[in-house]
Amino acid sequence: MSSLAAQRRRATAGRVWSQFRGSRQGAVGLIVLFLFVAMALLAPVLVDARELNPVFARAAGNPQWASPDVFGPLGTDHLRRSVWAQFVWGSRVSLFVGLAATVLTILIGSVVGVVSGFVGGRVDAIMMRVTEWFLVIPFLPLAIVLASVLGRNVWNIIFVIGVTSWPSTARLVRAQVLTVKQRLFVDRARSLGAGGGHLVFRHILPNVSGLIVANATLAVPISILTETTLSFLGLGDPSSPSWGKTLEEAFVNGAIIRNAWWYFLPAGLGILAVVLAFTLIGRSLEEIADPRLGRVR
Amino acid sequence: MSGTLLSVRDLHITYRTSAGPVPAVRGVSFELRRGETLGLAGESGCGKSTLANSLLRLLPGDALVEGAVEIDGEDLFSLSPGRLRAVRWVKEAIIFQGALHALNPVQTVGRQVREPMLLHETASSDREAKDRSRELFEKFGLAPRHLDAYAHQLSGGQRQRVLIAMALACDPDLLIADEPTTALDLMVQAQVLALIEQLREESELSLIFITHDLSVLTYVCERLAIMYAGRIVEQGPGHQVFSSPQHPYTRALAAAFPTIGDQSSRMAPSGLAGDPPTPGSLPEGCPFHPRCVLAQDRCRDAEPPLRTGVKGWEAACVLV
Amino acid sequence: MRIGVSPVVAVEEVEVNFGSSRAVDGVTLEVLAGEVLALVGESGSGKTTLIRAIQGLQPVSSGEIIHAATDRDGPGRSGVQMVFQDPTGALNPRHTIYEIVAEGLRIRGEGDDEEAKVAEALSRAGLRPPERFFGLYPHQISGGQRQRVVIAGAMVMEPRLLLADEPVASLDASIRGEILALMRLLVVETGLSILVVTHDLGLAWNIADRVAVMYLGRIVEIGSTEQILQSPRHPYTRALLSVVPETERMDQQILVGEIPDSRRIPNGCRFHPRCPLLQSGTVPAETANRCVSEDPGLMSVDDGWEAACWATVGVRSGSSAPLPDG
Repeated sequence: MSSLAAQRRRATAGRVWSQFRGSRQGAVGLIVLFLFVAMALLAPVLVDARELNPVFARAAGNPQWASPDVFGPLGTDHLRRSVWAQFVWGSRVSLFVGLAATVLTILIGSVVGVVSGFVGGRVDAIMMRVTEWFLVIPFLPLAIVLASVLGRNVWNIIFVIGVTSWPSTARLVRAQVLTVKQRLFVDRARSLGAGGGHLVFRHILPNVSGLIVANATLAVPISILTETTLSFLGLGDPSSPSWGKTLEEAFVNGAIIRNAWWYFLPAGLGILAVVLAFTLIGRSLEEIADPRLGRVR
Repeated sequence: MSGTLLSVRDLHITYRTSAGPVPAVRGVSFELRRGETLGLAGESGCGKSTLANSLLRLLPGDALVEGAVEIDGEDLFSLSPGRLRAVRWVKEAIIFQGALHALNPVQTVGRQVREPMLLHETASSDREAKDRSRELFEKFGLAPRHLDAYAHQLSGGQRQRVLIAMALACDPDLLIADEPTTALDLMVQAQVLALIEQLREESELSLIFITHDLSVLTYVCERLAIMYAGRIVEQGPGHQVFSSPQHPYTRALAAAFPTIGDQSSRMAPSGLAGDPPTPGSLPEGCPFHPRCVLAQDRCRDAEPPLRTGVKGWEAACVLV
Repeated sequence: MRIGVSPVVAVEEVEVNFGSSRAVDGVTLEVLAGEVLALVGESGSGKTTLIRAIQGLQPVSSGEIIHAATDRDGPGRSGVQMVFQDPTGALNPRHTIYEIVAEGLRIRGEGDDEEAKVAEALSRAGLRPPERFFGLYPHQISGGQRQRVVIAGAMVMEPRLLLADEPVASLDASIRGEILALMRLLVVETGLSILVVTHDLGLAWNIADRVAVMYLGRIVEIGSTEQILQSPRHPYTRALLSVVPETERMDQQILVGEIPDSRRIPNGCRFHPRCPLLQSGTVPAETANRCVSEDPGLMSVDDGWEAACWATVGVRSGSSAPLPDG
């Protein structure tokens, strides 16, 4: 790679970053996400992990169903555990599962979608049949089977989510690739002598990246919610707390009837904030990736 | 009946955008008599389509309209929504450019031609509407079986005929044609133009024909108005304006379409340097001066008004 | 402008079929060095398919396309470049003007003096000063400038032949002449050949040395621009010319209907169902029979001028049908 090209690449990266900082919604999303990521990473510093243990909680003399003004900062649950501890530690699993499963989903989906749409012909036909096969498999039975066969831990949950949710991404990406492939600039590059790799990486991918990013921002909350679902069904990792598990336990133990809002609200708002942050970031990335969406200044 | 059908007086249309107001039409006045044909020519961004849409009040909500448009003595901008709907299609109809996109793909074209008749109750029954659409189709060289066809089953020329039939379904007084032949092949364009010519001869229909192709206009229009940067810069009898233009812009536009056989244009394409101005940032003075080969110092100072020149028609240039 | 005799590309008996549809149905054509050849026809005549085949974007079903002195095969023939009808669509919206013009060089692996070459191509295409355009995106420049960028992106490859598909059809009237003038200038300055596909006969008059008229996958008349546009021989060429608004005109001959489906090419002369000459009844019965039964090939009218018509060329020695306007 010539130094001129490298220089240009650095300039582009710099431009994206400065534009991103310039976009208010992107900045807000990034700050919110940064706070949650920091919280997840600093969990061992912020809260003693033993507070998640009911035995420890009882031994510490915590009250049961205490509201935040009785037991700070976020009250306790039916097992006398600190909700704050669950919130902090839960963010780790939720964020990790959400991000990792999304990466897996998007990776499989994009590769299948791009290859299928770009190569076309028989390859496309076979890949799409496989995709449809995955698409029509009922999610829950497969997840239950996989979880019980593979065992209930975080990695398996990620695998289950990734393997079951890529087909819709693949179909979406494939459709977009087919559209972009028809565009005149692809013809132009072809007539300049461009090969498949050049076409895919210089023309197809940049023009479907917006869609992939948008899809990823939607996939993160879905992954987080899927993790919740699996936890709810008792297929979650029993050893680690997550926001989904918190919500489920609050629901099962009658937090709503007891009006113990402090039990479920933090986890719910946490999910909401993370989902919103991803949407904001995704939207402004999309705007930067597509110069035409940029505002007139 | 040869009175004034349409009168446009000092019309200004400004789009309010996040980047500030963008003037699209800046003081346009003209009148159209019954049965008259007016050609409106200009480049993209000159405001011709905005003007056309304003004549049916089809502008988006962020457009600020000043001035007056009267259709058959009624002030268009003070019409009630109900009355406006009656005026649209019954008094004035429009043919849009993209013949494929203006038709609903999941309805037969026959049904779409009948729709305005039933909506505006110009046909008392479905049977009458059917008869009338068959008549229209026949007149425009479409077979009755095409009534049951869907848009994708028709060729470009046929779709354009369907659109014309649709526009004329309620027998309007005024037809506005916005680039109706631009996407069409030469022969199909000739067919459509011949059809419009025939309509004009047979009825009292008034026509506003909008295009960037001046040569097409001289073919169908008695009167020609040239627009540049939101204003009419020359207005007069069609053939004369084309063959001996007064405004330098009209001259350049006319020269862009060479006469085949004319040795002066052989191997010598004639164009106009520079690009059309962006409506948001017009040059000072005469907006055409940066591209004008005859520009003088005074052209930079003030925008020349439209005035009658020696040849007997109006142009907006200091040299007239 | 003197035209060299050596062809830069020779198309021989080329057919392109899409299923049962014969889009290009036996075309033989040479583009000579340093000439502008206009390929005229309506949509459905196969003209766009033909130039895509010449570019290598479209495989041919039979026949041969022979490029003079090409070093590589496939679509990457650097000696042949393309200019498209819609410059907006031909430019990747996510690339800067610099990247767009440099793209061909990068593909060919010619990294040396990239910046100088890009700058030269841009200024040659009339975008001056070129540095001002380097960092801009396609949506930030006007339509006419976009077409110039497309031309610059082609010219940077130093092609022998430029294939232009309706290069000005989507541009404003005032811009049209500028782009055509640029194309003519490039021919004069660099000895380039241009094959321009158009339905615009005025364009041919403006820049073409020769004109070929296509109808339903076949060339029906070919000759010098003056021959074809001023004294056309084929009834289809005549009809086309008669409806050009710019011609001070012959009697209009508006043909009924549109080009037939290329899956059902009529027997005999493919134009006979729409032929105004045949319909006028002035064609002798013997010739008329031929029109409906025998496919006319291109026949010589004069030096370098050929037309495929039994009635106006095919029958010599005084028995040919009278021409409507002499």
